[in-house]
Amino acid sequence: MTTLYVLDVPENLAVPKVADEDPDVTVRRVGPYFEITSAGPIAVDRRATGCRHAVWYSCVAGLAGARIVQHDKDALRLEPR
Amino acid sequence: MDHLVKGVDHAAFPTFDPAATVRFYRDVLGFPVVHSICAAGWGPDDHPDFIHFFFDIGNDDRIAFFYYFGVEPFHRLDRGDVYAGFGPEVPMYFVNSRHLAIHVDSEDDLMEYRRRLDVSAWPVEMQVQHETIESIYTHDPNGYLVELTRALRPVTPQEDLDAELTIDALVEVASGPDPTLAKLLTRKAELIVARAADWELARTGQAGR
Repeated sequence: MTTLYVLDVPENLAVPKVADEDPDVTVRRVGPYFEITSAGPIAVDRRATGCRHAVWYSCVAGLAGARIVQHDKDALRLEPR
Repeated sequence: MDHLVKGVDHAAFPTFDPAATVRFYRDVLGFPVVHSICAAGWGPDDHPDFIHFFFDIGNDDRIAFFYYFGVEPFHRLDRGDVYAGFGPEVPMYFVNSRHLAIHVDSEDDLMEYRRRLDVSAWPVEMQVQHETIESIYTHDPNGYLVELTRALRPVTPQEDLDAELTIDALVEVASGPDPTLAKLLTRKAELIVARAADWELARTGQAGR
């Protein structure tokens, strides 16, 4: 599974919310983290999150079975590894 | 183990321009002079005569300077500060990585320091605000990068946990070959799975008592 962890702090909340709009993505909690999983790729549109750059580029807390193929001003995209 | 320390007693830096240093810290920023030592040089190294002087940076913490009489700067490089100079091969992100950040409590306080700096010879060079902090930056007369910063929200307990997991992963990854952020994030995910749920349970349990 492609898995992305995001810490639950106010400025990160839009990241799991936007990721969850993809029906193939599941979001659940592991302690104070959001665990965002998918059998395939995960994509998050930065503008949809409203995150500004400092938060956007530091929102990834952990990666399992995944590699980041894009993390720029437009999107965060992960693919299965 | 017990965490017994009480903040910064003083952080000390050399200066070749004590007059400008006093103007910057005392007269522009309004940091009181709180201590100074006038010392004749002594010892086997022919240590020069010197003045060691201190400014209060709040919270009873202090920034201190050494001025050595008769000593000229040791380098003439453009980048860096009077303590350490760098050539053009050294990128600016590295040169600017070492800096002193002084805390203020509010936007009003930050803007008060911005006003004081902007009418001086050392105006604010950069003001940065993102979701969690707001900071202003300038270089002092010695080339030292000084930041004044305020938090836009308090640090949450889960950020302390997250920092612990990051540092544990960093120590492991940086101790191995070819450290990368991708390796750190992969190791950190394992630590999240191993420790984050228990951390929250322990914390919720404590809060319920």
